[in-house]
Amino acid sequence: MGRNSKSKGLSRRQFITRAGTGAVGSYVLFPALGKAETKNLSDNDPQQKYLLGDNPLSLSVNGKNIKTKVRGNTTLVELLRDHLNLTGTKVACNNGECGSCSVLLDGKVVYSCHMLALDAQGKSVTTVEGLMDGNKLSVVQQAFIEKDGLQCGFCTPGQVMAATALLSKNPHPTKDEVKEGMSGNFCRCGAYPKIIDSVLTAAEKLNS
Amino acid sequence: MKRDIENHVTGISKFVDDFPTLDGTLEAYLFYSEKAHAEILNIDYASALKSEGVADILTANDIPGENQIGGIIKDEMLFAEHEVEFIGEPIALVIADTKENAKKASNKIVVEYKDLPVVTDPREAYEKGLLIRPPQIFSGGDVDSAWSGCDVVVEGKVDSGGQEHLYLETQASYAVPTDSGLKIYSSTQSPTVVQRTISNVLNIPMHRIEVDVLRLGGGFGGKEDQATIWAVLSALAAYKLNRPVKLVLSRMDDLKITGKRHPYSSDYKIGLSKDGKILAYEVTFYQNAGAFADLSTAILERTLFHAANCYAIPNVKATGISCKTNLPPNTAFRGFGGPQGMFVIEAALHKAADVMGIDVDILQQKNLIADNDVYFYGQKVENAQAVNSWQTADEKFNLDKLKKEVRNFNEQNERFKKGFAVMPISFGISFTNSFLNQASALVHVYTDGSVGVSTAAVEMGQGVNEKIIEVCSRTFSISKNRIKIETTNTTRIANTSPTAASTGADLNGNAAKIACDNILERLKIIAAQELNAKDSEKLSIENEQVYLEGQETDLGWDELIQAAYLSRTNLSSHAYYATPDIYFDRDKNIGSPFAYHVYGTSFITVTVDCLLGIYKFDSVKIVHDFGKSLHRLIDLGQAEGALAQGIGWMTMEELVQSANGELKSNTLSTYKIPDIYSVPDEVIIEFLENSENRFGPFNSKAIGEPPFMYGIGVYFAILNAMKSFDPNLELFYNAPITPEKVLLALYPEVKV
Repeated sequence: MGRNSKSKGLSRRQFITRAGTGAVGSYVLFPALGKAETKNLSDNDPQQKYLLGDNPLSLSVNGKNIKTKVRGNTTLVELLRDHLNLTGTKVACNNGECGSCSVLLDGKVVYSCHMLALDAQGKSVTTVEGLMDGNKLSVVQQAFIEKDGLQCGFCTPGQVMAATALLSKNPHPTKDEVKEGMSGNFCRCGAYPKIIDSVLTAAEKLNS
Repeated sequence: MKRDIENHVTGISKFVDDFPTLDGTLEAYLFYSEKAHAEILNIDYASALKSEGVADILTANDIPGENQIGGIIKDEMLFAEHEVEFIGEPIALVIADTKENAKKASNKIVVEYKDLPVVTDPREAYEKGLLIRPPQIFSGGDVDSAWSGCDVVVEGKVDSGGQEHLYLETQASYAVPTDSGLKIYSSTQSPTVVQRTISNVLNIPMHRIEVDVLRLGGGFGGKEDQATIWAVLSALAAYKLNRPVKLVLSRMDDLKITGKRHPYSSDYKIGLSKDGKILAYEVTFYQNAGAFADLSTAILERTLFHAANCYAIPNVKATGISCKTNLPPNTAFRGFGGPQGMFVIEAALHKAADVMGIDVDILQQKNLIADNDVYFYGQKVENAQAVNSWQTADEKFNLDKLKKEVRNFNEQNERFKKGFAVMPISFGISFTNSFLNQASALVHVYTDGSVGVSTAAVEMGQGVNEKIIEVCSRTFSISKNRIKIETTNTTRIANTSPTAASTGADLNGNAAKIACDNILERLKIIAAQELNAKDSEKLSIENEQVYLEGQETDLGWDELIQAAYLSRTNLSSHAYYATPDIYFDRDKNIGSPFAYHVYGTSFITVTVDCLLGIYKFDSVKIVHDFGKSLHRLIDLGQAEGALAQGIGWMTMEELVQSANGELKSNTLSTYKIPDIYSVPDEVIIEFLENSENRFGPFNSKAIGEPPFMYGIGVYFAILNAMKSFDPNLELFYNAPITPEKVLLALYPEVKV
């Protein structure tokens, strides 16, 4: 079984609805204008360009330089999961509410379901797959294992990324600061006490 | 061997939507009813069929077998044909090259409905005679003649809301045609239910359907019965189109379509002597089942079993009424009806204490069940730990001191008030349908000494895989690194019971232990030959080394396995376990359905801001009966997580439906689940010492559900704080006790 590598013509979430198939002069709906309106477009029209998958995008993902083309409405998580096969980053709400899709963008934690891939242009993205140093787990990963900071594991990549971002910004967090730093990430299993423990342990290890 | 936990933190762990898909894989999208109750007059698929990328649209006409997925009661069709009874009821399945195209096509399906009356309230359903099945009554003693002997009799109404599972991995299935049938990768707690239901719908034998479960991104009961439909739909499409088909729900669809914890509305009457003994308790539960039975009747039955919580009451009558409404069929959720039953008796005691003018914990403690008592449905109490855990909690945490601290705080503060509550629990372990209490395990020892273990248990975060590794490691006395837990697969383990009812580690751990013991016995015979010992009984393995009469030999695990293989010894075992001594007579509603009970006591303190209505959870101190814990870290995590969900159910998780049956709380911003700030500032969980349990592997006890019920105490702690603010507060028992409800109750004269 090989993961279907052909890039998907359309991505999961649709900010813009495509009515035609990309041929010259196709019709496009603009729901954002309030009332559905149609407009005749040519290939050179920027609006048309954004709907097709020919927007050049170059960025770094886990230290690798990526040059690709994406549609305007491709989200960052779609780029990671569907185009780059980095399925460690999870989608749980696809609505910027739960934190499962957290990745680092130039070192800052972001919800990758809630931003466009094009907005990562020229930037550096780190996903959970990029945290290990060769075969060596990062200190944060190690601490989550040691303190059992997870249960089902689905929110874990997001939690680990949020913790990594928190500790890089604040290497000596108090318990309250840990809570604040991790508050954008839900864990339905309720492993919070052990998540707090994991982050505090990672901080200790990093400082020793 | 990399453990699951290492894969989780590195992103290697795969869930269904992460699996690499085969070329030619199609995506499915469910077209479902937008009406809670309506007649279907006409459906026009013409435009949808012509939509871009569409491979097919399947309806009831495409089903080769039976259009039926109901488990306990056959009342639920896979696809509606003439009438829809809830918003989200399946009508057709759109299959296309991409999920987006499938969804887009489904938007082009046009249905003509004729509206029918919508019922969402269980009491209204009861009055209209809309029942899932006739009421069930459990009774012990003679409640009717007991009232006259009571000094205090209190009656009232109690409501508890539903609860969305919100497993972070939404419902998912991937069906792949094989030479002989289908292979289904499903995110299900019940592989065999999936297999059997597909068999029934496709009209092909079960052995042609292989169901494989790697792991679940959370289940909590929400994937016990309700993972099935997605697997069946993807299987039907894969079978009809001879292509792999994937079906993964979006969060909003998952919230909208799938069933939840049952809301209950209940009436109680409780009678006590003036010295605080409960003499009689009568309760009627109106369960909001939703449109179809699903597991409602089994859940209602567990409500009845737990109607008296951990209290010995001589006269009890508990009536359960499963009411049919136009909501998605409600389903299993951690506790399986038990919490709903226990909330009512706790409310009844709370009210009675208020009437009697004493602290409720005095009533609670006075009535704790003990050995030689009888649970009112006929089960004799053995190895009770209710009193032990209460007393241990008191010794460790000092009940009187905690209460005094709260009183002192409240005397000194006006706007902020603290509230305290004790929540003792007793939860029965075993499926109440006795036949489900069986499991099997398949253990292979490979020639390099590594071990592969298959069981019926599904890993969903509860740590059952780690526990089974622990059982096998202890039984063989080998390193855990040698042991791998395989996927849960119906070709390796047939006729699996759901991983549910907290029984996963008990049933499957016991089966795995028997399988390991079988192999160990054969290995000892080989070891005896190798060491020229006469009696294999005098041999043992400790830390991968063979011991003879307590003396270490130079025969190690690796050499022993090699020797066994070369001398043609069976290094595999398939073993079976069924819980002994359990039964329940459903004609008389009497019996001994549980292998054992889990007990514990929690002390809870909260602070309420009586100006804003918001509150925080200061402290939860628990003594819990883990038996001899198999894995303390996992068990603690389960207790902490269950507590968080219990607190969520009682306080912030509020499902809001409009009168026409539409779910309004359909995102994570409108349906609040506990976040990291919901964890009490202080959570202390102590292990009750000296609790034995012959039914659990190595004397362990089940952990999944029981600690959920500690969360119930939070409701009463908040109410007690409010009462301190306003001594004339009219007590109300209507969970969840959201900040909004707190505020409105504290300022009833304010109109909103």
